[in-house]
Amino acid sequence: ISAVEDLTVAGDNARRLGSFAGLTESVLAAACSRVGQKVLHLDRRNYYAGNWASFTFNSLLSWIQEYKAQQEMPSTESDQAWVGKIEEGEDMLPLSSVDSSIINLEVFSYASEESEDEEVVTPSVANSFPKDSEAANEEPSGSSVEPQHSDSPGDRTQGAAEPPKQETEPSEACKNRQMPETQQSNQSEESDKQEQPITRPAEAPIELNKRITYAKLLKEGRRFNIDLVSKLLYSRGSLVDLLIKSNVSRYAEFKNVNRILICRDGRVKQVPCSRADVFGSKQLNVVEKRMLMKFLTFCLDFEQHPEEFQGFSEKPFWEFLKSQKLTENLQHFVLHSISMADQEILTEEGLKATQHFLQCLGRYGNTPFLFPLYGLGEIPQCFCRMCAVFGGIYCLRHSVQCLVVDKESGKCKAVIDTHGQRISCNHFVVEDSYIREEQRTKTSHRQISRAVVITDRSVLSYESDQQISLVTVPPLEFSSPAVRAVELSSSSMTCMPGTYLVHLTCPASGSAREDLAPVISNLFHVPNSSGEEPMQGTEKPLALWVMYFNMRDTSGLDSSCYSLPSNVHVCTGPDASLGCDYSIKLAESMFNQLLPDEEFCPPAPNPEDIIYDGDGAPGEGASFEETNHAERSGPEGEGQPQENGQPSSESSEPAESTDSVAPETNTESKVQISPTEE
Amino acid sequence: IATMEDYDYLFKIVLVGNAGVGKTCLVRRFTQGLFPPGQGATIGVDFMIKTVEIKGMKVKLQIWDTAGQERFRSITQSYYRSANALILTYDITCEDSFRCLPEWLREIEQYANNQVVTILVGNKTDLAERREVPVRRAEEFAEAQSMLYLETSAKESDNVEKLFLDLACELIREAQQNTLDNTDRAPVPGEGKPISYLSCCSVN
Repeated sequence: ISAVEDLTVAGDNARRLGSFAGLTESVLAAACSRVGQKVLHLDRRNYYAGNWASFTFNSLLSWIQEYKAQQEMPSTESDQAWVGKIEEGEDMLPLSSVDSSIINLEVFSYASEESEDEEVVTPSVANSFPKDSEAANEEPSGSSVEPQHSDSPGDRTQGAAEPPKQETEPSEACKNRQMPETQQSNQSEESDKQEQPITRPAEAPIELNKRITYAKLLKEGRRFNIDLVSKLLYSRGSLVDLLIKSNVSRYAEFKNVNRILICRDGRVKQVPCSRADVFGSKQLNVVEKRMLMKFLTFCLDFEQHPEEFQGFSEKPFWEFLKSQKLTENLQHFVLHSISMADQEILTEEGLKATQHFLQCLGRYGNTPFLFPLYGLGEIPQCFCRMCAVFGGIYCLRHSVQCLVVDKESGKCKAVIDTHGQRISCNHFVVEDSYIREEQRTKTSHRQISRAVVITDRSVLSYESDQQISLVTVPPLEFSSPAVRAVELSSSSMTCMPGTYLVHLTCPASGSAREDLAPVISNLFHVPNSSGEEPMQGTEKPLALWVMYFNMRDTSGLDSSCYSLPSNVHVCTGPDASLGCDYSIKLAESMFNQLLPDEEFCPPAPNPEDIIYDGDGAPGEGASFEETNHAERSGPEGEGQPQENGQPSSESSEPAESTDSVAPETNTESKVQISPTEE
Repeated sequence: IATMEDYDYLFKIVLVGNAGVGKTCLVRRFTQGLFPPGQGATIGVDFMIKTVEIKGMKVKLQIWDTAGQERFRSITQSYYRSANALILTYDITCEDSFRCLPEWLREIEQYANNQVVTILVGNKTDLAERREVPVRRAEEFAEAQSMLYLETSAKESDNVEKLFLDLACELIREAQQNTLDNTDRAPVPGEGKPISYLSCCSVN
């Protein structure tokens, strides 16, 4: 049962769409699949979400190694002749096999290299981390001797490509696997043979004051989910709206961002943004409080008071702020932390951004932002799940070599995959990084500078150590952009307890390190050598591990920047902004272009509303009863999920599927669900 | 907080295992009492729900299927995230589906919750004459991995009810144990909420 063989079948049916995996592509794939289009989703990588992916610490190390290997031995574009697959009247348009969207990757580790021999094993067996003497020496490479211990996506590739050999009993192969013990946590002397069993801790028996060693980071690697793209969700932004509208929100969980911080003159302060914050703030005097409240109230409905900003329409926002009798302190707050504006932004745009910020306040919490548990990389996957639920076919580690273009129509009629198979398609959606230079009419790119820092404490300690904070670092020089940092605590499920994960982002002016290292040494204590003790009395968090890289920012490009067949659609982005709106709006406009008569992501039927009729005789057919969902309240009992789109009763079901959920408007009606025959 | 919910417990159960081992059939046998003839994915159905009563408690089981993503070994990590229990399924008449189990376990270890309950299920006992995986071998494997083990037939409805009810009992036991242990626990990681249930405190 080779994948290839299977795919032939799939490929013949996949009339619509090939696609690759960033946020825009995933949303587009879900939207098309939702309205009945056949979607085949291929990715050359062995993980989801492309440059939007998130990695465990160990798999990030493997990713870095793969990156470096690629740098050292750059694979050249090879035009393998798939001549046999090309028919008369067809041209071949090769895709790039080299992903050059990430450059300037640099990694620095400052965590102590010492082993954890002295580590105390907590008394409870179920909660202990018996020491893993190998962890300290474990090479963070994909070629781990024991694949069971490795997070390496490379291993998974391997595993998938060649199933374990016939003679390998699973019991052999798994002898050393670290398993969550379900009940009998005290038994299993068997697994002691070669290594002590590692019981996953119920909840972090980690001594918070203990120094965190590199070995510890490796051992706890799976608790990290490190995103390549750092963004937040505006609570009234396009992504939240789409998640709710489409019911894709059911695949993810979210946390509020708790604090908006600003770093000025080397000190981190909280930005008061809500009414309660402003009045409760200790940093503002009474006059400032009144000024700020008055100004923010004006911003909420600034359109009603055009006279207030008359004469500033062509001028930058900061000039307007200056004119508004705001203290310098307040101007900074508004410009950098509330409007998130750069220096050039014009007054009206700045006001709009401020208004959007204020409107987002209070929907879910006291900041305008949400963050997905387990990282932003979950979001594209959620849309992939939705696509799959509606019949989309998913295939990682499988790529497209070239496009087959019909000479006469100039359209792409098929693609040839890396196995040399021809798959026909009506439309082909592809991420920018697959496009070769020859197909570009514009070759210069903007870049985004990124840094990821693992630290040992928050930049601003507070009562709770489980905050998620957005930190703005205004530029030192007037012309350069502000740096945005998102500090995640372990409650976001993106880092191990006792550490913080800080993502820094700014539009690039130089390499990521040039752009961000000054900010990092401003915010954190960066030791000169690994394991160096922080200076006495230093309040700054210790940087344990730092990664810099630049990601190509293709968000300025449009179809005019590529010379490609008209039914080949390039997804650009991610952009450098804080929200996800660019990518979502792009997906929606691409969808409207592909399928102008279809609705974009109508709500998927909610299985919560389809309840098995327990009284029905078993075996007598699939009867479901739709309950009156209007009366339901959330499982948390926290009141009505007002925002939750009701599943639409009118059938916008896949046009081609003969089956499926077709609830009638009557809530008493029975709903037949039957499988589609393939 | 007053709740209008009609259950005492809600558990998310997730099925994994190779394509064709009968995951969907197990779910449909249990939730709908039928054995779907023929192959084919159910389009548009995300998960199935069945509420069962155990020791006087109403337990709502939300059972998630792979949506076909296992076919090319491309299951999303997010699929595993909030599962309370995993049903790892293989086909007793297919050696290959058994040999893939370590790979599945590796994914589970990577992405599933720490306290997830895993049960190993050998399906298709109705085809016993074509059995390729001896019971003993599966038992040993399950034991080595500290998993529960059960053989089922979705077709004959053998052990299907038992599978889900046993799992529900185990989940209740764990949940009750956790409540006992949790009394003075530090902030719990992952107290995230579905987007629609995040509190709507009005600040403005």
